[in-house]
Amino acid sequence: MYRKQVRRRRAVLALLIVGSFALLTVTYGQGSDGMQRGVSTIFSPLQSGADRALKPARDLVNWFDETFDAKGRNEQLHGELEVAREQAVGAKAALAENEQLRKLVGLDKSGAIPSGYTPVTGRVIARSPTVWFADVTIDAGSGDGVEVDDPVVNGDGLVGKVEAVTGGTAQVTLIADHTSAVSAKIVPSGIQGVMKPSVGDPEDMILDFLDSEKRVGKGQSIVTAGWRATGLESGYPPNLPIGEVVVASLLEQEAQQQVHIRPYADLRDLDLVQVLTGGSRG
Amino acid sequence: MILTSNILVRLVAIVIGGVILQLSFFSQVTLFHVSPDLLPALVVALGLLGGTLTGAVCGFSAGLLLDCLLIAPLGGGSLVLLATGYLAGLFRERFEIHSPLVPPLLCLGLTLFAELGFGAVQAMLGIDAPVSSLVIRDMLLKSFFAFFAGWAIYLGVRRALRPALVEEPVAAPRPRRPSALGA
Repeated sequence: MYRKQVRRRRAVLALLIVGSFALLTVTYGQGSDGMQRGVSTIFSPLQSGADRALKPARDLVNWFDETFDAKGRNEQLHGELEVAREQAVGAKAALAENEQLRKLVGLDKSGAIPSGYTPVTGRVIARSPTVWFADVTIDAGSGDGVEVDDPVVNGDGLVGKVEAVTGGTAQVTLIADHTSAVSAKIVPSGIQGVMKPSVGDPEDMILDFLDSEKRVGKGQSIVTAGWRATGLESGYPPNLPIGEVVVASLLEQEAQQQVHIRPYADLRDLDLVQVLTGGSRG
Repeated sequence: MILTSNILVRLVAIVIGGVILQLSFFSQVTLFHVSPDLLPALVVALGLLGGTLTGAVCGFSAGLLLDCLLIAPLGGGSLVLLATGYLAGLFRERFEIHSPLVPPLLCLGLTLFAELGFGAVQAMLGIDAPVSSLVIRDMLLKSFFAFFAGWAIYLGVRRALRPALVEEPVAAPRPRRPSALGA
């Protein structure tokens, strides 16, 4: 009797292991299939409800974390504030000039969202627990006009792009995911490169394949390049803010053609995001 | 563990509730820049209370649901959590749990094992970006969070599955002590 039980147990275990490997082999690289979309659709109301119900508790835990963090960053921020004040004065002058130019050419738009795109707001209702997949689920889906590959931003800058959609939800792969690669350019110099994440550290990204002849300086801003070639175009529209250069050592630029950047968007703490639907990418 | 239909329903509810809670709450809070991952600890608790088969099946199911909801490649999460649940069950079948520290320590060790497992599966499938050394900090902190939450999770799951547990001591009625009057 005991041997029979042991045999049955081993058989179930072997079946589960073989099943896992079979699923991995069959589904890897195939994108989302019907089963996943179905399960996601069934559970999305539950996830959405749990997300709303647990938001106060989540905010409380995050408040503790941010308070500890804020104490450490206080001195650093004082220093940065002085620099920012100087820049703000220059920026105000530039804004006034920009406003006049916009009126002149009839482009009275906010500028953050490229023309031709319709922003759809979604709330993050689930997030991947491992550092290996930087994915979030939002409560806006194909029913709201969201499509696969639509870019996703928040108030600070680029967040990622839509990987899969169901009727009421969408899966967003963040720019911190190891599969992400964004064509980006440094402003105002216009030097172009490809931004890749550093797995495990969402505050450190690498802008790679830079022109080693041109120098990049700390503090310069990065935006999406949004290129277009014959039959091909970038996955992101041009000029979406991404982040700023934080480490730009001469050695790294010459030897590896790369600099380190910090994204403007806090990818660890996303709540509301906007999916840019419609429009053309390049 | 005595598996009745009532207990099966409770196991399914625990697994689904655990996955939803992980995705909607724990993955979205940060402590010391790291989000707790308590699914391995939940699977460890199920394995410790139910044995190898329960641990493996619950781990597989939790991993499959996680992969489905995240629209990630299916099978990776199942494989890792299946192994985690099986190892917890194996511990239960081979050793006696004498100290209350055993469940949290197992949660710590097996969460670290699960995080390494997720990394190994990902490495097997290919990583298209450089890996930061902060991944190690992430894994270690997740394991420590599992240690502190492990005991509460274990107690909660044991309470939910109490009718099915064979070893659970039943509170014996207290012997009546004679009163001063001898009544």
